[in-house]
Amino acid sequence: MKTFKLEGKPRIGTGKKAVKALRREGLIPAVLYGSKAVELPYSGNLDEGQNLVENQGKGLIVTNFVVTFDDVRKIIYTPEVYIVELVINGNTHTAILKDLQMHPVTDEILHIDFLSVSHDKPAVIEIPVVLDGFAAGVRAGGKLNLVSRKLKVKGLIEHLPERLHINVENLELGKTIQVKHLNFDNLTLLNAPDNVVCAVAVTRGAIAQAAAADKK
Amino acid sequence: MLQPKKTKFRRQQKGRMKGNAQRGNELSFGSFGIKSLQSKWITGRQIEAARVAVTRHMQRQGQVWVRIFPDKPITKKPAEVRMGKGKGAPEGFVAPVTPGRMIIEIEGVPFELAKEALRLAAQKLPVTTKFVVRRDYDFSTNA
Repeated sequence: MKTFKLEGKPRIGTGKKAVKALRREGLIPAVLYGSKAVELPYSGNLDEGQNLVENQGKGLIVTNFVVTFDDVRKIIYTPEVYIVELVINGNTHTAILKDLQMHPVTDEILHIDFLSVSHDKPAVIEIPVVLDGFAAGVRAGGKLNLVSRKLKVKGLIEHLPERLHINVENLELGKTIQVKHLNFDNLTLLNAPDNVVCAVAVTRGAIAQAAAADKK
Repeated sequence: MLQPKKTKFRRQQKGRMKGNAQRGNELSFGSFGIKSLQSKWITGRQIEAARVAVTRHMQRQGQVWVRIFPDKPITKKPAEVRMGKGKGAPEGFVAPVTPGRMIIEIEGVPFELAKEALRLAAQKLPVTTKFVVRRDYDFSTNA
């Protein structure tokens, strides 16, 4: 999977007033979470922008920072999925884009969530699907529909592909490929097994062709 | 024309439309769509006119999703009738739309065709709209 280097500046202010002020300056507030839990009471030092959040008796370190729109544009408005090498306070974190908040009217980016991932623990991420080949059903006059553009997979980040290639050569008219029919090396698919990934829909042309063949 | 199969009450109060759309403000089905930039009631007739404009321009290609439903009954008094004597007779149904609300989504057609089809649809609506594209849309493959 492609990696993208992103530099973030730590921020101290959180809450509505502080983030509105940042947005007025053209900055986008962001957060990084998902690092290893620490024992409480925590005796280590927290860097600028870092907060300790208590969760089920353990401490989680959350880093608040800001990025600029030009820096993140490439990882947001793209069909690709990236592993982000996030540099905050001189420390590099490996992360994935977890969530994005956008303004309902203007569609400007309000906030970004990054999830820290490690090389020894599987990550859950949505990867785009690509259909390979010319389906048999399309040859018979059907229309190939990609129903699920992305699939949720779990795997180590070394094993995550850029795209999930699915061969549709043998997909016949009126048939579907469901999640349970798919298998990828070193990856676990987390979507419901009955979810349809792609289907060859029967078109009016295909019905006419079939009727003509029956008459003969 | 879109309207509910049955309603619990024949008449409703006007209500108020405050703020932006908190739900239904993102593309959920298609790659392209139009979202409202104003608050207004959109009638069932206007929605149908917009839908017809889109499907005509797309010439039976692709898919269309109408994301709003006119479920609010509107009443009107007959012409030249004095005020009072109760609320008027139900005249039709409207969908209250607030800024940000996705109105129509389409899929399965190239970008230029989608943009033109949705421009024609927007002309049938009483609100100013904005054309939106899925943020992970691949312009190189039109997918």
